[in-house]
Amino acid sequence: MAHLCLFSLLVLSLVLETQALTPTHHLTTTDVARLQAVLSQPFTDLKSAYYSVVGLSKLGIFVADADETCRFINSNLDPSSVESLFYAAEASQALSGCEIPVTNDTRDLLLATVSEDSTASQIHQSVSALSALGLPLASQEVVSALKARISKEDNVLAIILALQTASRLSQQAELGEILEEIEDLAARLDDLGGVYLQFEEGLEATALFVSAAYSLSDHVDMEPPLKEDQVIQLVNSIFSKKSWDSLSEAFSVASAAASLSNNRFHVPVIVSAQGPAAVSHSHPFLQLQVTDVLCQPLSSASVLVESASAVASKSAILSQAPFTLRDGVFELNFMASQPASGYYQFSVAITGDSRFVANHVELKVKVSTRVAINNMDLSVVDKDQSIGPKTTRVEYPTKAKASFMADSHQNFAMTFQLVDETTGVELTPHQTFVRLHNQKTGQEVVFVAEPDSKNLYKFELDTAERKTEFDSISGTYALYLMVGDATLENPILWNVADVVLKFLDEEAPGTIQAKTLYVPKPEIQHLFREPEKKPPTVVSNAFTALVLSPFLLLLILWFKLGANISNFTLSPSTILFHIGHAAMLGLMYVYWTHLNMFQTLKYLAIIGSLTFLAGNRMLAQKAVKRIAAEQSSRLAKYRSLR
Amino acid sequence: MSNSVFSVISRFVEEYRSSTPNKLKMIDAYLLYILLTGVFQFLYCVLVGTFPFNSFLSGFISCVGSFILAVCLRIQINPQNKRDFLTVSPERAFADFLFAHTVLHLVVVNFVG
Repeated sequence: MAHLCLFSLLVLSLVLETQALTPTHHLTTTDVARLQAVLSQPFTDLKSAYYSVVGLSKLGIFVADADETCRFINSNLDPSSVESLFYAAEASQALSGCEIPVTNDTRDLLLATVSEDSTASQIHQSVSALSALGLPLASQEVVSALKARISKEDNVLAIILALQTASRLSQQAELGEILEEIEDLAARLDDLGGVYLQFEEGLEATALFVSAAYSLSDHVDMEPPLKEDQVIQLVNSIFSKKSWDSLSEAFSVASAAASLSNNRFHVPVIVSAQGPAAVSHSHPFLQLQVTDVLCQPLSSASVLVESASAVASKSAILSQAPFTLRDGVFELNFMASQPASGYYQFSVAITGDSRFVANHVELKVKVSTRVAINNMDLSVVDKDQSIGPKTTRVEYPTKAKASFMADSHQNFAMTFQLVDETTGVELTPHQTFVRLHNQKTGQEVVFVAEPDSKNLYKFELDTAERKTEFDSISGTYALYLMVGDATLENPILWNVADVVLKFLDEEAPGTIQAKTLYVPKPEIQHLFREPEKKPPTVVSNAFTALVLSPFLLLLILWFKLGANISNFTLSPSTILFHIGHAAMLGLMYVYWTHLNMFQTLKYLAIIGSLTFLAGNRMLAQKAVKRIAAEQSSRLAKYRSLR
Repeated sequence: MSNSVFSVISRFVEEYRSSTPNKLKMIDAYLLYILLTGVFQFLYCVLVGTFPFNSFLSGFISCVGSFILAVCLRIQINPQNKRDFLTVSPERAFADFLFAHTVLHLVVVNFVG
């Protein structure tokens, strides 16, 4: 079980180590200068004097006229205020030869402030003032007061001030519990994207925490419980802001930078390439600046390339090659290993001090070279290959003397090689274009020249096949070769020759129009649906008459059969029925011409019900008559039979 | 052969003239009228064209519908069929005929366009 634990821990640490962070944000020399400028502003009161003087002293700079500042401090000192005493005492300690007069009252005031009833800030100020003024203090009392204050005021700033205070106390005091607060505070930091680590209270709190944690750790000589990645994330957070809102913020950044560049445990290393990380034959040295967070060069460091491999082929070029220090810059002659042009992945290690943090850096280095064109051969080949090709060799940068003629029966061909100027190794740059430019019309056609398996570039122009690109415009075209790549120092634009292309004249457009893509297009005329062809009116009328003619026939037949209206009784129901029926027929006609279904149904309901009632009455009467007639006829028949 | 056909036809016509009641003969005349109208409409469609098709359809359906309704009326009125239609008096048959025609003409006029 224990072995398994150990093994997994080992694996985990290895994994973590290979994925170690490197600072993404750091102060450059201009940023440090700006920080100094902010802190060097003329001070208006004691507080700003404290920030300026102490801040600058942390950056290793001393105020110009110390006496003037000392006088200023003394004149602005308010001996009855602990805060004022704190600022004055700290500032005067940073200045050389500046004394603050101390009275017994001052001392008593400061000692009285050290109690559980004062805030952590007050305790911090009084303890700092006492130690700066060289007055004795009882460390154990301070420790107990601090512990009480920490439990009462649980905010981040109070605990940071407690840490700062503890670093001023005697080493014999029991600072163990206060030391544990560093770990608790570290747990409160917010991890932003794995890159930043900061308090939600802001940059100032984070920076003050760093300086307090390291000053206390240095004081008790115990490594702070901060992992390397956490230290780097803190560096990113603190040094990501390059202009500071207030003097106190600038002061906090300066103290953090000072503590990170000079403490006993963790010193983050900043590695940056001087200029672009590129080497070439003219600039064979890869130069690196290796500094601490305050941009001060680490002279005790030794820089080593652990491995350098080509990005494309993953083949290793260098292994364990040291950098040499020259004028504060570490350099390595990479071209001495004769790398081919391209990109290389460098893994650099900075050793020399066990305190170094983020001392493994990955760099991408570009090796540039100059390209030369060899064996540029131009030829015109007949398609049926009955006539052998004539090749003309052209040397860069001259132009071929004679122009080449190619019509639809011939192909124009071009072959060349691209090599590294110094080593003669074949190159395949990203851009190898052949451009044909018609000087008369301004037309330009660009083709790509492709390398074959032996890295020999070939370009063939089939006149007949490519006539659409040229719009079949015959004429003299200037042929250019364009070669370019990120790793080439000398991109090439070379007018190789003139080519006269002949296309079939019938296909050439009459006027050469510039390819206009953004002109209004021709208007589309909408074609509406044609109405169907109707037959002539004569035919329609004739057939209408024909269709209506059987009605006449019907009337004639009925007349012949003896239809009559002799039985027509003029009872109201009969009349009403006939009127209603006629009205319904009329309604049908009106429906055809004017109405819709709903209106018709409405009228039909009214007329129909009337007609129905009248008709019902009428038919009932008829039925009665009929039955009576039948009965009487039956009776007559019966009687006649008897 | 044709002789027997001719004699059958003349016999039929004679029978028809003598034994069919007048009312039925009137309905038969009406049926002939409807038939001819339908035929002439169909003739127009075949000769001239189907434009407008909906009008042709409505006219033709009107003829067909009217023919059917008239045939129904004839069957129901015929005294020889009295035993099959005990509940339906001739007046009732006529009233049904009128009502059905109303519905038919409503649909026909809707479709004729």
